[in-house]
Amino acid sequence: MERYGTNYLEERKLVKRWSGPTPALLNLLFTLIVFYATWWFFHDPRGVMRMYTPYVGYMYTRWWLIVMIWMVYLFNFWPFKRKWLESTHPLTKGIVLSAVSVGVLYILIKGFFEGLLGNYGLAYFNPDQLVKLPGITEFFAVEYSCLAILMFAAIASWLSPAWVVAMEEEPWSKLPQPAKGFSMLICTFFLSTIVYFVTMHPHMGILYHPWQSFTSIAPPYWEKFANTVSGNFHVSWIMCCTVVVWLVETIWQRYPFNLIRHPWLRRFALFFGIIAISLAMHFFLYFAQELTWGEAIRGTRRAFAPDWRWLHVGEMAIFFLVPALFLHFYCGNWPKKFSMPVNVLVRTIITLVATIALYIGYYKVSHLFLGTQKGFSHPQQFPMIPMIWLVNIWLVNHWFMDNWPGWKMVPKTVEEIEADHVAHQAEIDDVRWSPSLGAGLGMGALAGVAFYAFTIYALPGLYAAVDILK
Amino acid sequence: MTTKKKEVKRRDFLKGAATGVGVGVFAAMGMYSYSDARKEMFPKVERKQKDIGVCRSIHVTNISETSWFDNATLIGDIKKGGGLLVNQYDYNWPPFGNGKGLGKGSYADGMAKIKEFLPDRLDEAWDVVLENCIHPENAGGYSCLVEMEEMDGNKRKFLLDSGWSYKWMDECFKREGIDTMLRNKEIEALFISHEHFDHYWGLPVTLKYDPEITIYIPEGFYEEGLQYIKDCGHKGEVHTVKNGLFEVAPGFATYVFPVPIICRVYGEQSLYFNIADKGLVSVTGCCHQGIIRFAETAYQEIAYENDNFHGIYGGLHISPFDDWDPKYDDLVISLGKYGFERIGCNHCTGVLCAKKFINAGYPVVEGTAQFRSKDTAYLGNGDTITFG
Repeated sequence: MERYGTNYLEERKLVKRWSGPTPALLNLLFTLIVFYATWWFFHDPRGVMRMYTPYVGYMYTRWWLIVMIWMVYLFNFWPFKRKWLESTHPLTKGIVLSAVSVGVLYILIKGFFEGLLGNYGLAYFNPDQLVKLPGITEFFAVEYSCLAILMFAAIASWLSPAWVVAMEEEPWSKLPQPAKGFSMLICTFFLSTIVYFVTMHPHMGILYHPWQSFTSIAPPYWEKFANTVSGNFHVSWIMCCTVVVWLVETIWQRYPFNLIRHPWLRRFALFFGIIAISLAMHFFLYFAQELTWGEAIRGTRRAFAPDWRWLHVGEMAIFFLVPALFLHFYCGNWPKKFSMPVNVLVRTIITLVATIALYIGYYKVSHLFLGTQKGFSHPQQFPMIPMIWLVNIWLVNHWFMDNWPGWKMVPKTVEEIEADHVAHQAEIDDVRWSPSLGAGLGMGALAGVAFYAFTIYALPGLYAAVDILK
Repeated sequence: MTTKKKEVKRRDFLKGAATGVGVGVFAAMGMYSYSDARKEMFPKVERKQKDIGVCRSIHVTNISETSWFDNATLIGDIKKGGGLLVNQYDYNWPPFGNGKGLGKGSYADGMAKIKEFLPDRLDEAWDVVLENCIHPENAGGYSCLVEMEEMDGNKRKFLLDSGWSYKWMDECFKREGIDTMLRNKEIEALFISHEHFDHYWGLPVTLKYDPEITIYIPEGFYEEGLQYIKDCGHKGEVHTVKNGLFEVAPGFATYVFPVPIICRVYGEQSLYFNIADKGLVSVTGCCHQGIIRFAETAYQEIAYENDNFHGIYGGLHISPFDDWDPKYDDLVISLGKYGFERIGCNHCTGVLCAKKFINAGYPVVEGTAQFRSKDTAYLGNGDTITFG
């Protein structure tokens, strides 16, 4: 039976063409050049297509990410055969697979959302329907429909990879492609639809005057605890889920959930664990803004508005994704020499430090290079877009091009694959319960709480000392 | 043997500790970060209660609130020009058209075509504009006259903003007698709220009648904006007002907010008046910082009569393009808590928003919808309002 690309990522050996950090630096340079060229061509307000309106560019960026996740994680590169994946030049693969992903993306947006849903279901998915509303301009008709489609994307970009990472493709893991891929696609799309209706649809329902109270919950149920009627409250925690899925899958190696031996207990613990960690992140990043900028004031605009603060939580979360993926894709998930928990902690610390540096650097200089506006809270500025665009470029490079040009791909032998499995299991088995582990766990937990307390104590002073926008 | 055992224990301890740190951090984040207890950590806000003095009253004349005449045309230009983040000087809008088309303009090119006519020969300049710019017929502008009566009965006049179209603003200035006031040096200063086309690019119309008028601009102007003052033939003083409070006269202060705004504009200046026995009145150009932020800033920074928010006049920047967003409903819901007694809004507030204010029972002062203003839901061109 043709395996297509099942386990292709796991069973490929990426061999550095040069020793030391050269390949990582070369690929960083290469991908940054591609990023900047494509950013200028597609998104930049000074460029060619100027899709950073911002929602048009945002929508395509988010859905391109999801389409690539579908192609690689859900469909295992189907219908491309394993032999083609192993023998084709990375550049050719990159071009062909990217072209296919863009084709699927176009069909999805124009055919499914705008054409099918927008014409036969929810009018706000299609700008041509929206523009019939008295007073609405073509510009905002397009922006509103793109907003709705990308709100859907936020959910799908969490649930699609979560089904692979947390649910381990069950109950369809044994199915051949494309049955497995379609099963997971339909399941996660269905779940995304339900989550969309209870988190995002009420937002769209009060977007119009009068409020669409008979087709959505208006005002939305979250008004009291979110301090806003905006759906950005949900964008916030869902974006955190999207990021945490990838942290769990890459730099955390699914630790500590991989210690759970019972399969279904492990899967549900991981699925809901991702949500729990994300909610903690969601509340903390909002709190961090309160500590640095003061309490949010309902009804105001920009940096002091609760809706913007929630949105900014999602934006801050995305900054974590970039260094975490770089560490995983181009630094071999360094370090690996300690026990799994220590490796995970060190990688997390590296990611945290790099995230803070990236956040500061972005707000200091991005307006000079990306055609965006200076300041944190410009209503049309979404750092998520360039961050995810860069991640997309990296996914093309890592998934479709086997890290070319810094690396070359060599298929692993059966013995190497087996050795990998054994080594990974040994890493898991290495973490066994002992009184010392228990004592460490307790002390570590206390240290973690102390670190949190110190962080919230020091944040206002640190923020004032850095003065990012000057 | 003993040594090996100790190493193993130390290793186990580290494994546990590394795991525990994560558990502790996330548990604390989740349990404390959105609890009511967190509010103990907020920095204590002490009201500075800066005394800016009092004035007896202010009278505002709306010279023009129609910054543009057709939303679809303006926003269509923005869409085709590359969106809301494009540098406003690049759209090829009047007066900086270079004839190269939408999104391909430049300040230098446009200015080179009209500089010789500024500020006196505006009709000739506008003829050039008509040949080179995108949709010059859609340009209008925002400007108002603020007449302040001091406690001793002395009256002082200030101009807030100078609109956009030379042609339209000149008509409006003549309609309201602003031209004569400027010629007679009755208006002592021009305050520019922010660098946006519809508030600032009509500067030569003010300078045509008084090239020596003192100008106050907010911190954050770009190079083109600063150069424009010179290129327009201004001969008076220019003051760049730093972020924060700036006292102008007893009972009158401005406040500059460092806010990023669409079309690559940064920083906005709004006006506060402390009316004797009444309270604070806020006069705004666009209020990109938000009227609630404006009110909260006043609460924290300055002392005002009866600790009372008396009134608002100006653009409140809610839905200038007839767009809407649920977050705007947050404003409609919360504005009532601030207890403004007279709300005179227009321009970028948006007609829909004004109607929502009226439906919510807020004391909106309605207008006459004359001189191309679109709706009576707010104060239109030529309408006036008095506070105090």
